[in-house]
Amino acid sequence: MMTITADAAPAKPHQFERLWAGLDRFYLCCGYLAAFFLVCIFLTTMLQVGSRWIGINIRGLTDFAGYFMAASAFLAFPHTFNRGAHIRIELFMSMMGRFRLIAEWSSFFAASAIAVWLAYFAWSMVYWSWSLNDISQGLDATPIWIPQMSMAIGLSVLALCVIDHGLRFLISGDHQLPASPDAL
Amino acid sequence: MQQFELLITLLALLALLLSSGTWVGFTLIAVAAVAIEFFATRSAGAPIATTIWSSSSSWMLSSLPMFVWMGDILFRTRLSEDLFRGLAPLMGRLPGGLLHTNVMGCTIFGSVSGSSAATLSTVAQMTVPELKKRGYPEHLIVGTLAGPATLGLMIPPSIIMIVYGVMTNESIAAINIAGILPGFVLAAMFTAYVVIVSKTDKSYHPAVEKPTTWREKLGALWLLLPVHVLLFIVLGSMFAGIATATESAAMGVAGALGLAWWQKTLTWENFVESLMGATRTSAMIAFILAGSAALSLAMGYTGLPNDLAKWVSTLHLSAFGLLMALLVLYIVLGCFLDGISCVVLTIGIVEPMVRQAGIDMVWFGIFVVLVVELAQITPPVGFNLFVLQSMTGHNIFRIARWSFPMFVIMLAMVFVMIALPGLATWLPAMMLPTTAA
Repeated sequence: MMTITADAAPAKPHQFERLWAGLDRFYLCCGYLAAFFLVCIFLTTMLQVGSRWIGINIRGLTDFAGYFMAASAFLAFPHTFNRGAHIRIELFMSMMGRFRLIAEWSSFFAASAIAVWLAYFAWSMVYWSWSLNDISQGLDATPIWIPQMSMAIGLSVLALCVIDHGLRFLISGDHQLPASPDAL
Repeated sequence: MQQFELLITLLALLALLLSSGTWVGFTLIAVAAVAIEFFATRSAGAPIATTIWSSSSSWMLSSLPMFVWMGDILFRTRLSEDLFRGLAPLMGRLPGGLLHTNVMGCTIFGSVSGSSAATLSTVAQMTVPELKKRGYPEHLIVGTLAGPATLGLMIPPSIIMIVYGVMTNESIAAINIAGILPGFVLAAMFTAYVVIVSKTDKSYHPAVEKPTTWREKLGALWLLLPVHVLLFIVLGSMFAGIATATESAAMGVAGALGLAWWQKTLTWENFVESLMGATRTSAMIAFILAGSAALSLAMGYTGLPNDLAKWVSTLHLSAFGLLMALLVLYIVLGCFLDGISCVVLTIGIVEPMVRQAGIDMVWFGIFVVLVVELAQITPPVGFNLFVLQSMTGHNIFRIARWSFPMFVIMLAMVFVMIALPGLATWLPAMMLPTTAA
């Protein structure tokens, strides 16, 4: 992979570097928030086990575990992307030689387009749930737009993250995504 | 014929996006959107968003981060050091010697972790230097790691089984329990291979281990006991029906945290690292699953899987013939895709065919896991090969050649499973009906 320092003027740090570092921190913060919701899954599930043992039935705990699951996943999407942990197939790209650039371009373009499109419809879903006053079907009777916000926010930040890395690729020739470190 | 056109278009789009390096999750959503917009001629955005929401907020899925987290915490305890110190005195004098620590180490770690690459790198880090030092031939060291490490997928808890369970709506607990017996049979086959190869391979003449007393042997086992008690509780509570998959996984997290605290390996940094690692891994999988939910929805709109299932049934394939065709399909796919992507891409299409052929879906889950295990050691894309390449510095095709006997053993296991389906179905049938949930 090309790096910024290899052939470009190494002395001067890139003018966007501070912005990029800031954005990286922002994705990481979303990641911490996601981790917080993961702990929430753990706590609600333990609460459920505990409450069954002492014979109390707290309503809607499983629904909450589901909302926390969604929040944990969606909010972690950008951080996961930023760490290069989302799966992509690099086999053919590495065989493409100088056409690799085209593949990188087209994949960033396709991913940005889908991410923006999906984020738009996620917000539209939240809007409709809110305006129709949609209540969860489960025992928890939560207004469903509240947990759905996590999807809209997570996907919006993901769209930002994909476009951000596409632009980094455009500007510096390096998309700054590490090769998938801990893929299965 | 419109369905044919549809199939070709979608496959072409899929292949184009995937091979140009577009992230799997985005690719699946894009293909789903095209299928709905252009072939079902509806607006795709709203239904896809709703489907992704409902699949991602499902309570069933929440067992995924819990199992991932449990494995991640246990990895950071002293377990990996204890494992080699515990197994070496037990195995050292057997025919095959310390090569058995590779197989047994992978089996034990497979029951802790739900992934193959993680199992592989942990065990390899401990055993490769020790075995090299003692003069074991390298092709055997590498081979007996690459194959057995895939047991991480088979022996519960297993991430890929959770993915399969969520996609097919089968009980996650039942599928995980179903993996136990086939996992052990496969481990026994690997062990038998090590014994045989130690007698027949001409390059096999490692340093002989000093004899150990029984006291030393048993003392070593003692080190491994806490982890096994924990796993017994986690799996046992699922088996006995007193806890759902998510609940036993959460108890596993509590137990793992307790164990790490007791062994004084639980620092704040460790805790945060394991938590963030688990968050990323489950987000990575949730993203692919979100894509697959969108794709299944699109497939439902177009009716493609049902038409394909009908078409396949006109071929009058026997169940065996169908399984053979699928075996070939998965081995080919597995050459280019990782295991979870394989499952996610195919299950939506394959499920109706398999159900129509009257094949038990829990059994089929184990079949798929086994075939995906094969895919982990087939070049050019096999995650175990990548891990071993980076750890030993050998060329990937050489590692694949060294792992080839394992490939044959696992292929043999596929036929054992077909001949003795009870291996996978007997234990789940013994499970008590769940009183939880």
